[in-house]
Amino acid sequence: MQKVKARRAVVALLAVAVLYGIAAEIGRGRLPDRIWLGAHYVENVQLLPTWRSLAEEGAFLVESEILVSSIAVSTRRVLIGLVLGSAVGILLGLLTGWATRVEYLADPWVTFFRFTPALALLPLYVVWFGYGETSKVLLIATNVAAITLLGAHQGVRGVPRVYLDAAASLGAGGWLRFRKIVLPTAFPSIFASVRIAVGLAWVTIVVAELIDARMPSLGYLLALAGAYPRVPTMLIGIATVGALVLVFDMLALLLHARVTRWMRRTA
Amino acid sequence: MSGRFVLWFVSLAALIAAYTLVASRVSRPDVLPSAQDIAEAFGALVGRGYQPPAGEEHHHHHSSDQVEILQQQGVTLQASLAVSTARVLFGLVVGLPLGILMGLLMGWSRRADDYLHPIYVLLRSVPPLALITYVMLWLGHSEAHRLIPIVYAVAVTAVIPTYHGVRDVAGKYLIAARSLGARGWLLLNKVLLPAAAPAVLGGLRYSLAIAWMTAVGAEMLMAENGMGNLLVGGGMWSSRLQTRSDPAVIIVGILALAVAGWAMDAVARIFSARLTRWAR
Repeated sequence: MQKVKARRAVVALLAVAVLYGIAAEIGRGRLPDRIWLGAHYVENVQLLPTWRSLAEEGAFLVESEILVSSIAVSTRRVLIGLVLGSAVGILLGLLTGWATRVEYLADPWVTFFRFTPALALLPLYVVWFGYGETSKVLLIATNVAAITLLGAHQGVRGVPRVYLDAAASLGAGGWLRFRKIVLPTAFPSIFASVRIAVGLAWVTIVVAELIDARMPSLGYLLALAGAYPRVPTMLIGIATVGALVLVFDMLALLLHARVTRWMRRTA
Repeated sequence: MSGRFVLWFVSLAALIAAYTLVASRVSRPDVLPSAQDIAEAFGALVGRGYQPPAGEEHHHHHSSDQVEILQQQGVTLQASLAVSTARVLFGLVVGLPLGILMGLLMGWSRRADDYLHPIYVLLRSVPPLALITYVMLWLGHSEAHRLIPIVYAVAVTAVIPTYHGVRDVAGKYLIAARSLGARGWLLLNKVLLPAAAPAVLGGLRYSLAIAWMTAVGAEMLMAENGMGNLLVGGGMWSSRLQTRSDPAVIIVGILALAVAGWAMDAVARIFSARLTRWAR
C-alpha cells in the first residue's frame, strides 16, 4: 500500500517536472523576451527558464553563498518569531480556555488580533520599533500568537466535561486536572494551529523583509530578482521558500510524533 | 451573561484609558498619536477626498504628510475598503470552487489522492505573495497580479478542510449509503456534500482570513488603491515600505480592517450555521 503511494507520488512529481521542461523548451525563442514593466521595457527576460538555466543560476547562487546566507538569516527570523509567538499564544490560549473570567477580559483584544491581517501591522511596527530586526520578528510573533492562541483556546474548550468531572470526583485538584487531562486533550488542536502558523510565518517574512531591505535575506532576494527582473533567481527563490516551508512542516510533524508517542496511531 | 459584558467593557475601557495615558505621557504624536489625532485622521480619510486649499486656512486638520498625500490622490477610507472587499470577494468566488473541487477529488478517490497530494503539498508551500512579481511579468502591471495571489491563497487553504471532511467525516456515511444501494448523483448530492459541509464551511472562515491577509499584503506591495495602499501611503512599489508613515492613518486603517474582517466572518458564521442546521 505504502509502496504504491510512494510510486504514484514520484510519478506525479516527475510528470510535473517533465511537463515544465517541455513547456520551457517550446517557449524558448517563442515567448516574448522584451517586457513592458509599467514604466520601461526590460530586455532578455526568460519567462519560462529551461531546467539548464535554472541549474546554472542555482549553482551560481549556491557558489556565491547568496542563497545559503539568505536562508540562514530568514530562517533565524522565522524561528525566533515562531518560538516567541507560540509561547505567548499557547500560554494565553490555555489561560483563556481554562479561566472564563480571563477569557472575557481578553476577548476584545483577541478579537481584534484575530481579524486584523497581520501584514497591516507592519507599517505600525516600523514606526514603533524602527526598521531593524525587532519589527520583523515581532510581526511574525504577533501573527503566530494570534493563531496559536485560538488553537490552544479551542483545544481547552473541546475537552469533554465528563473527563473533568470524573477526575474531580476522584479527587484530582485543579493543577492535576489541567496537566493530566486538559493539556493532552488540547494538544492536537494546539499542534494543528502551530502547523498553520509555520506556513503563515513564512508568508509574513517574505513581505517583512522588504523593510530595511538588504542582503542577505530571502524576501529581498525575491524582490531584487523581481526588480531586474531575473526569472531564474525568482523561481529558485520561490522554490527555496517553498522547500523551507516543507522542511519546517516535516520537522513539526516529527516533533508531533515524538510528543504523542503514547497515543494510538490511526492514520 | 451580564458578567461577560461588564468584563468585556472593562477590558476595552482599560485598553483605551491605558493607551491615552501612555500617549499623553510620551507625547510623541509621530509615534503614539492621541485619540484625538486618530479621530481627526479618520475624519479626514472619510471626507470627500482633497479640497484644494483655496485661499483660507483649512481648519480641523490633523496635518500629516500621509493624510495630505492620500487626500491629494483622492483616497478615502470607504473607497479603499470597498476595493479591498471586492478583491477579497473575487478571491473567494474564484478560489473556493477550485479548492473545494480539488479537495473533493482528493478525498473521494484514493488514486487521485496519491497522485495529487504531492503536487498539492508543493503548491501549498509557496507563499502566495512570493508569486506576485512573477505573475506580473506574465500578465503585466494590471489587476491580475493582485487577484491571482488571493485566488491562489484561498484555493490552497480550502483544499484541506474539504479533503478531511470528505475522507474522514463522510467516509462512514458513504459506506452506509453504498451498502443501501445509493450511487452516483444521489450519493454525491444527498450523502457526500451534506456530510462534508461542516468541514468545508469551517474552511471558508479560515480562507476568509487568509484572503484578507493576502489582499492587504498585495496592495501594500503594488496597488494604487485599496487598504494596503492606504496603509503605506502609496509610492513606487520597490520603495514603498521604506517611507515612514503616519501612525494615526495606520491605526485608522487597521481598525477598519479589523471591523471589516469581523463583519465578514460573522456573515460566514451565520451562513454556515444555516446550511448545516441538520448537524446539530
